[in-house]
Amino acid sequence: MSSPASTSPSESTVSKDLATPRWLEPFALLGPAGIWLGLMLVIPALLIFELSLVPGIRPGEVVNPSGLENYFQIFREDVYRQVVWRSLGFALGTTAICLALGFPVAYFIAQMVPKKWRNLVLVGFVLPLWTSSLLRSYAWITILRPTGVLNSFLTSLGLPALDILNRPPAVFIGMSYSLLPYMVLILYASLEKLDRRLLEAAADLGANPLQSFWKVTVPQSLPGIAAGCLLVFITGLGDFIDPELLGGASSMTMARLIYNQFLGVTRNWGFGSALSMMIVLAVSLAIALLLKYGDRSSANL
Amino acid sequence: MTPSKSSKFPFTWQAGFTALMFGFMYLPIVVLAVFSFNESPYSAGWKGFTWKWYEKFFSDSRILSALADSLTIAFLAVAIAAVIGTLMAVGLSRYRFPGKSLYQGVAFLPLIIPDISIAVATLVFLASIAIPLSGGLIQLSLGTVVAAHVVFCISYIALVVSTRLGNINPNLEEAALDLGATPVQAFVKVLLPELAPAIISGCLLAFVLSMDDFLISSFTAGGGTNTLPMEIFSRIRTGVKPDINALSVVLILASGLIFGAAEYIRYRSEQKRMSKP
Amino acid sequence: MSSRFVSRYSRRQFLKTSLAALSSTSLAGCGWTLAEVRSDRPQTSNSNELRIYTWSNYIDETLLKEFTAQTGVRVIADTYDSNDVMLATFQAGKGVAYSVVYPSDYAIAKMLDLKLLAALDKSRISGLENILGKFQNSIYDPGNRHHVPVSWGTTGLIYNSEKLNPAPEDWDYLWQNRNTLSRKMTLLSEPREVLGASLRAQGFSYNTTNPAELRKAYEKLADLKPAIATFTTDAWRDQLLAGDLLLAMGYSIDGVLVAQENPNMKYVVPKSGSSLWTDAMVIPKTAPNPEAAYAWINYMLQPAVAAQVTERLFFATPNQAAFDQLSTDLRDNQALFPPDSVVERCENLKPLPQKSEELIEKYWTKLTSS
Repeated sequence: MSSPASTSPSESTVSKDLATPRWLEPFALLGPAGIWLGLMLVIPALLIFELSLVPGIRPGEVVNPSGLENYFQIFREDVYRQVVWRSLGFALGTTAICLALGFPVAYFIAQMVPKKWRNLVLVGFVLPLWTSSLLRSYAWITILRPTGVLNSFLTSLGLPALDILNRPPAVFIGMSYSLLPYMVLILYASLEKLDRRLLEAAADLGANPLQSFWKVTVPQSLPGIAAGCLLVFITGLGDFIDPELLGGASSMTMARLIYNQFLGVTRNWGFGSALSMMIVLAVSLAIALLLKYGDRSSANL
Repeated sequence: MTPSKSSKFPFTWQAGFTALMFGFMYLPIVVLAVFSFNESPYSAGWKGFTWKWYEKFFSDSRILSALADSLTIAFLAVAIAAVIGTLMAVGLSRYRFPGKSLYQGVAFLPLIIPDISIAVATLVFLASIAIPLSGGLIQLSLGTVVAAHVVFCISYIALVVSTRLGNINPNLEEAALDLGATPVQAFVKVLLPELAPAIISGCLLAFVLSMDDFLISSFTAGGGTNTLPMEIFSRIRTGVKPDINALSVVLILASGLIFGAAEYIRYRSEQKRMSKP
Repeated sequence: MSSRFVSRYSRRQFLKTSLAALSSTSLAGCGWTLAEVRSDRPQTSNSNELRIYTWSNYIDETLLKEFTAQTGVRVIADTYDSNDVMLATFQAGKGVAYSVVYPSDYAIAKMLDLKLLAALDKSRISGLENILGKFQNSIYDPGNRHHVPVSWGTTGLIYNSEKLNPAPEDWDYLWQNRNTLSRKMTLLSEPREVLGASLRAQGFSYNTTNPAELRKAYEKLADLKPAIATFTTDAWRDQLLAGDLLLAMGYSIDGVLVAQENPNMKYVVPKSGSSLWTDAMVIPKTAPNPEAAYAWINYMLQPAVAAQVTERLFFATPNQAAFDQLSTDLRDNQALFPPDSVVERCENLKPLPQKSEELIEKYWTKLTSS
């Protein structure tokens, strides 16, 4: 998200404008969005922050901020700590899986598919993204059920049936499936620009394919890897649908817990707000880490 | 299309792996499609071919009204966001002002903040500020869902438009102004046509995201507003019959068609642009 | 350079102003009221439309269509799967569109506490005299001033009798056979019911307020947790029929429903006792269309309609006139209409003091989050 300001004509255009008052234009351009975002995003965010400072509040009670009790509660009680770790685990695990599965695919499409086919293959790969995410999760229920497609297939081969649905592996499968296309898209953008001459040079200098992969390909695509991982991580951390539908009783995550505090069985809005702030904090932290330690160019993605 | 079969593709392990991943991506869709024709509602085994789930789906008024709600929300939210998002992108590219980076940060925040956090914040705001302040005039309804969807639609549309703004020739608009056009004329006649492809693809992206959104809708909708994802979610929770499979096949075909059309438009406009001197 | 300066300046400025704004709102002390449900201005809606909020197995297309045919009012039904979810909907201000809701007994008490319910105008309701005497005067709503009972039943276990041998007879079965049942059983997603079952299995009351007993109930459930596939009110039906599950905790009317599709599925009320529930129709204060709401209640009270619905959707009707019209088969169905010997060992869920409610919520979150 680099600022486009540097490329704009800026002041010179404005000064030529004589017909309408100069100050009106910026307000006309930036005002509507500013008001909308202020009302529907900034004020709500501040409200949630204030609400997170009220322990145990339910709808209908008076908001009287009294401290960080809600946040302490997240870290004091084992079960909530467990939920936080589980959410991070799901997000990190999914990131690793997506990277491992996505890199070869992106590399193949970017480097080995003839140029005129490239776009078609890439679009074909990410096409399932355009279908409803709920229906994709639902399809995985059909596949992973104890008497589902996978187990029918396995038993017909004489293999033992697998118990996957309603357990963490199902969540990993569902989340990786949902996020793999994003990873491939971003890696592709970065691998497409790979300088092949460097690879050839490495080969000329006697490097075996593995060496040139680690010494040439990986460093060059590092910004893409970092950006892809970040995107998958933050989307995975906030994912509600896959853990909810595929995880059963075994996989309460932060997003599910927040949902339950507001629209579910327990109604503790203050605690839900604190959890929501924690997710935002974790996402911001991930982005800050990338900006600090990641490559400069990856920040521009 | 298996890449490995064509002689143009060298067969490597990457090709095999990619083919495998293609299978992974399409497996759930194929499964849904196959089961939408399966006679038995429960079994994973094949019990005979039937159209009955499609008949059931097309006569199911709940699903159809949910679809209508979803489409209304998506169209309204995208239309509003297209206007103010484009204005914002242009404004951001033109001016420097104190607090600009803050404004920008807020504008693109919905791209990174998880849906659940946005949903929760919007619900709290609507339930404890907007509804009481308006004396009950504002209620959670279809309108509040639209208002909430506009927020993330603005971000996506502005993002796509900003990228395009960085690539177009700033002198064109200036030339128009020099030739005596008013700023509004210059904006509408010169800048807007240049931006049109970007606005359209931004809208398309926002439209798909709005149609697919479950969390923000279910937090900001009042009873009685039921979007398609909300309906699907509640059906999955209460146990589904294969008419949901039929629905997914129809939806997949529809989004495939929209996507194809969008790609075609993009391709044509690029060809046109390339053919220009 | 300059833009960087501007951004840094603005960031600091923003921090300052936002901190000031925050502290002024938070230190003001008086604060604002969080999402109060307001009933002063009911939403007006199309008078030809009635929205009801109910359990998924209480309605079907036929019922809605027949009502429309008789009254000309179009009905739209939304469903919930737990009393607490229904309450959450109302507390978040999302319930203002509904004119009829179907809470269970203790949830009626909670809704009364929250002042959500309108007192019923009995002169506009006909057929109330057909309701059995024992449902005429509830402890949580004296004189049934706010509700009309529509269905009642027990909570129990529904199991696949082909695969489970010996058959379950009591709650203890779940713990004793957890290896066979592992990940092939579900419990309800209703905190009071699930904790209550565990309480009852240990000889305590469903309505205990004793924290030590509640803790024991939680601990016993936590012990069973790894064997539970999921907590659900509805989704088990298809999974049980498809063979994915061997046993599910569920309501008697669901048990009868599933047994109709596959006679191998059996319903049992645990020996050591279970809960006895009543679901009722209520009209919220915010109801946009009370006219149609009364019409709906009157419609459901018609003995012929109540009997039809019982035959088709397996309501256990508390309506004596409707009961008399049922086929003998259904009247003798002990799962649907349990004999007095079974009713005697069951308990009604009573409203609990706030403290116990909070404890139950805490244990429920722990149970579902671990």
